[in-house]
Amino acid sequence: MFRKVLIANRGEIAVRVIRALREMGIPAVAVYSDADRAALHVRMAAEAVRLGPPPSAESYLRGDRILEAARISGAEAIHPGYGFLSENAEFAAACEAAGIAFVGPPAAAIRNMGSKTRARRLAIEAGVPVVPGAEHALRTIEEARSLAAAFGYPVLLKASAGGGGKGMRRVDRQEDLEAGLREAASEAERSFADPEIYMEKLLARPRHVEIQIAGDRYGNMVHLGERECSIQRRHQKVMEECPSPLVSADPDLRRRMGEAAVRIARHAGYANAGTVEFLVDEDLQFYFLEMNTRLQVEHPITELVTGVDLVKLQFELAAGRRLPFRQQDITWRGAALECRIYAEDPDNNFFPSPGLITRLERPAGPGVRLDSGVYQGWTVPLDYDPLLAKLAVHAVNREEAVARMVRALDEYYVGGIKTNLSFFRQILEDREFRCGRLHTGLIDEFFARRERTPPPPAPELEAVAALAAAVYTGSGRNHQPLSSAPPSRWRAAGRTEMLR
Amino acid sequence: MKLTVQVDERVTRLDVVRQGGGCRFRFDGGAEQDATLEEVEPGVYSILLNGRSYEAKIEPGADRLFVAVGGRRFAVQVRDPRAWDPGLKSRCSEGRESISTPMPGKVVRVLVSEGDSVQAGQGIIVVEAMKMQNEMKAPKAGRVVSVDVRPGDTVAAGQVLASVE
Repeated sequence: MFRKVLIANRGEIAVRVIRALREMGIPAVAVYSDADRAALHVRMAAEAVRLGPPPSAESYLRGDRILEAARISGAEAIHPGYGFLSENAEFAAACEAAGIAFVGPPAAAIRNMGSKTRARRLAIEAGVPVVPGAEHALRTIEEARSLAAAFGYPVLLKASAGGGGKGMRRVDRQEDLEAGLREAASEAERSFADPEIYMEKLLARPRHVEIQIAGDRYGNMVHLGERECSIQRRHQKVMEECPSPLVSADPDLRRRMGEAAVRIARHAGYANAGTVEFLVDEDLQFYFLEMNTRLQVEHPITELVTGVDLVKLQFELAAGRRLPFRQQDITWRGAALECRIYAEDPDNNFFPSPGLITRLERPAGPGVRLDSGVYQGWTVPLDYDPLLAKLAVHAVNREEAVARMVRALDEYYVGGIKTNLSFFRQILEDREFRCGRLHTGLIDEFFARRERTPPPPAPELEAVAALAAAVYTGSGRNHQPLSSAPPSRWRAAGRTEMLR
Repeated sequence: MKLTVQVDERVTRLDVVRQGGGCRFRFDGGAEQDATLEEVEPGVYSILLNGRSYEAKIEPGADRLFVAVGGRRFAVQVRDPRAWDPGLKSRCSEGRESISTPMPGKVVRVLVSEGDSVQAGQGIIVVEAMKMQNEMKAPKAGRVVSVDVRPGDTVAAGQVLASVE
């Protein structure tokens, strides 16, 4: 096993990987930008190396500096986490060339799956259905028009190099096609330095279900079941669950999707942990979407229901060990749910809300797992993705998992910045969600049907709030000016006296 | 002590006398009540009132306190009525109101011109921050009297982008 490992990432995922390394008795090397000098992952690591200024392009995306950090610290392996360089085939190849193990698939497998059009061809060759779509990048508007006419509107334009919803456009009418194509290409160019766009038919009310796979370099490969990630906003997942409610409707679906995922991964020459994403339509037909050649954000829910530590497994596989279990050894127990806690304002169009965390109270108790990258007193920088933490729960079934999540959310408190905690409380109460009738448009429909009723009057709560505010103000610690006049210590002292 | 408090939009009265670990108070013209109150952590109060247990968490804001209690969040201003205070008048919608950005970012689009009539809630300016675009909306119906930024401008938190009258 590796004697020292570098984590080429930040935030909650760096903390997650450090935890696995600590349990394995392996020293962890953190890397950080100037915005992250005091970040939790730096505090928790055994060693830390500075990469550069805050922008990702000058720090966490600098593969050369990261390899240099590995060299000077003597790390034998690099775990890329997700995002940043995790799906960069050149970086994986550079690690291999430098004699440092890349904790992930071989560079060739990343390349195979990195282009969406190439991945589609591989899936077709492996005999797995794909969403009807273009077999290659769109070259002309005429070609786009005739393809869209053949599939029927609506269609979806996607960046070939894309991910995370960037460079993606829904087009409902032919007259919008040209503008959509132009916008998608410019966004793809900006986000991925690659303007290549292809087209897919848009499925009606699709569900997003993905399969976790794991394989060693000796040809052994298994699937660890599905995660349903249909609760999305702007094509980004916000809540995930395992099992998918579909599996209780069709218990054979997990086996069929799992086998299809393993076929694709084998065909791509895959090893280590990975995820094959599918769309499932209303007739329970599934279609290959793409493969994520890395650890997924939502991996904890699979860990909760299967009992497999995916990060430790990644290290074992990267170190050349054999897969420690066979397909028939994998079992699924209970139900798990995960909420992605973001620094964003749900009452203001989910606008990012970085800043100082003045208070942090964490949920705990039975069946609660919190993967957090922040602490009280930490200032969330505005340079990166605003994911603060992932809150996951595990219970005997979906109904109890939902109740447990509601309880855990009530215990969770983040002060000083806005978070989407209150949004999760609302969506967990939603009738369609409770019934398990999930689809990728659920959040939009939820917002459309939600009645903006003002909260009911709560005179006792108001009294309590007023009382607490009065006592706090009287204590003289409220340094915020209460009026346009400068704060007076005499007045504060007088208030304190009167409240005695 | 007699105080004027504003809880969200409502301005009302709070009379409070502290007695040891408890206090006797009247709120909003209601009956006199007794509560016990403990500051369990800085800025966090455990309050027992009528046998019910509440935990109120205080977050200081720019000109008011935010109090989280019972799953709700109230904006509270506390005033000593003997102090003259121009800020307490409930926010009136007359006059000029400015539109500012809550965080630093870059202006992507300006959707109106000076002199345009706008509805309350109409998009005025789109600002991009942390790779997300956000439409800054008109706080009231009226006429755009100034547009202070152009597309491509970098703006600081709290900077005024436009004004509506």
